[in-house]
Amino acid sequence: MFKDFFLLAAQSIMHRRMRSWLTVIGVFIGITAVVALISIGLGLERTITDQVASVFGVDTFIIMNEDTFGPQAHGPGGAEEYALDLSTLRAVEGVKVAAAVRERTGFVQGPPRSDGTPLQGFFPVSGLSPELITEFESFIGELEVQKGGRLFDVGEEAVTVLGSEIAKRLQASVGETVLVVGEGSAELSLTVVGILVPVEEDEESRGGFAAGMNQSQNQDTIYVPYETMDLLWGPAKDVLITVVRVNPGEDVDKVADRAEETLNARGSEISAVTYTDISEVIGTMTSTISAFLAGIAGISLLVGGVGVMNTMFTSVLERTKEIGVMKAVGAKNGHVLTIFLIESGLMGLVGGVVGTLLGLGLSAVASSFIGRFFGVEMAVVASPILIAITLLGSFLLGAFAGLWPARRAAKLPVVDALRYE
Amino acid sequence: MPLLDLKGITKDYKLGKIVVRALRGLDLEVEEGEVIAIMGPSGSGKSTLMHIVGALDTPTGGTAFLDGQDLQQLKERQLVTLRGKKVGFVFQTFNLIQTLSAQRNVELPMIFQGIRKGERARRARELLTKVGLADRVKHKPNELSGGERQRVAMARALANDPEIILADEPTGNLDTESGTPVLEMLKRLSVEDGKTVIIVTHDPDAAAIADRIVRLRDGCVCEEVDCV
Repeated sequence: MFKDFFLLAAQSIMHRRMRSWLTVIGVFIGITAVVALISIGLGLERTITDQVASVFGVDTFIIMNEDTFGPQAHGPGGAEEYALDLSTLRAVEGVKVAAAVRERTGFVQGPPRSDGTPLQGFFPVSGLSPELITEFESFIGELEVQKGGRLFDVGEEAVTVLGSEIAKRLQASVGETVLVVGEGSAELSLTVVGILVPVEEDEESRGGFAAGMNQSQNQDTIYVPYETMDLLWGPAKDVLITVVRVNPGEDVDKVADRAEETLNARGSEISAVTYTDISEVIGTMTSTISAFLAGIAGISLLVGGVGVMNTMFTSVLERTKEIGVMKAVGAKNGHVLTIFLIESGLMGLVGGVVGTLLGLGLSAVASSFIGRFFGVEMAVVASPILIAITLLGSFLLGAFAGLWPARRAAKLPVVDALRYE
Repeated sequence: MPLLDLKGITKDYKLGKIVVRALRGLDLEVEEGEVIAIMGPSGSGKSTLMHIVGALDTPTGGTAFLDGQDLQQLKERQLVTLRGKKVGFVFQTFNLIQTLSAQRNVELPMIFQGIRKGERARRARELLTKVGLADRVKHKPNELSGGERQRVAMARALANDPEIILADEPTGNLDTESGTPVLEMLKRLSVEDGKTVIIVTHDPDAAAIADRIVRLRDGCVCEEVDCV
């Protein structure tokens, strides 16, 4: 019987082809907008998490100040420094390599010039674990030294690599020494082993992901081995970031928890952030944004629904006599209600199908544009769940919009309906 | 027991604040297989009587029995079932569904009775053949002449094999040429199939096929004439 009602409804829609299509257009515009926005949101999320995954890998986590990335994080505002005992961290079970960056401003004196007086000034001094360069290149970004120089190795202490700007300002070259003054009376003469390649103005930044540096900043910094920072300033609350790789086969989340517990027990205030944590944050962020946008697009769905309602009211009015006839030949109120609900639901569903296809197409086009603009490969996501929900939702939207008109049709007194001209 | 037994039927309508009494204590008995013509001027209560007989409406007062069932006691749903099974309607303006073919129009009452598709199609074609439209089953109403449309409507009225055929001015929109076969068919339904046929009409030709003519005036039966 349902199949017959379906046919009756479909025939009625086809009979009023022009009006039905206009109604369907009203529905699919809204559906298109919602589907496109959600799909783009999902694509964006996938793209970002893929990028994060390519930097992190599945065996790496980072350590940040708990205020920057933790349960009490107070929103964006840049990374905060923290204190860290690197040897304790390295002793945590499951940790394979740990490397850190600490940074502070120090008084630096260049090599003596021809007249005997050195150039000097305050410059940012960055302590890098050499492992950061050897093991975690994706984090720190590429540090390229000029010909004749090199980066420092594990175990070296009295060496430095200068940013090209610094080298120019101190008039220092490879093989010469610079003096860095630390806390109290601590000071060290460091041999310049390398000078970074200056960046071209228009060259695209390839700065490190985690440290948030860009190339021009790199050129203004004096790089020293991490341990050298200890000699100059002692352990202090100036660590920007720590990167940890776990032993093969270890559960990175478990090791991260262990590291966090161990370090915090010793007075650090840090959180260990894994790929999972970051993905979650990104997921929450992007889904909040797409939900917000989809909500706005949802308003157009409402308009589409009102369109369906309007069409159905007109249809009920036009077919008053037909409804009377159906009732006279034995249609129950429920039958009439069902036929009209199917009719309006069907218009919603057709709008949903067209809207979903257009929405997915639109999101693919938009993704390729966004991707080209930012120079990344944007993922195009056609979520089966999204499609299923959209189709069901559009049918329900239509049926719901048709509920009121259909009830009116069902409740028409048969004698009045038959008499209607 | 007569198929239709009406006693002291009254029917009031409210038009705004005014109550209009359309039927004022009408009595009527109709036996199975009879052909009755109900005649009378406009406003005499013909249509109201028709609605009550067809279980489309319930009387305000009096008792109405259709095939032994007290119409006053039936709920809306039961009235629908009753008319779906026992009554077939033929209207002046045919009232076919424009979007459906002749066959689908005839199938419509059977759909609401939940009869299966194959059975429905077979019976619809059979009925259309009976009314002489075997070659018109796929046609839509607007592709048929007035006479043909009314014959489709008659096939539809017979779909659920009802006991009573109610025809409201069946020839009112037809010329004599196309009206005559319709009337002949109505007569045959009584003679050959034992159906009870009630025709509401102004048309003397239509009244001529009746076994009995009932004249209404001011909501009452004013004259009953048995025809020979």
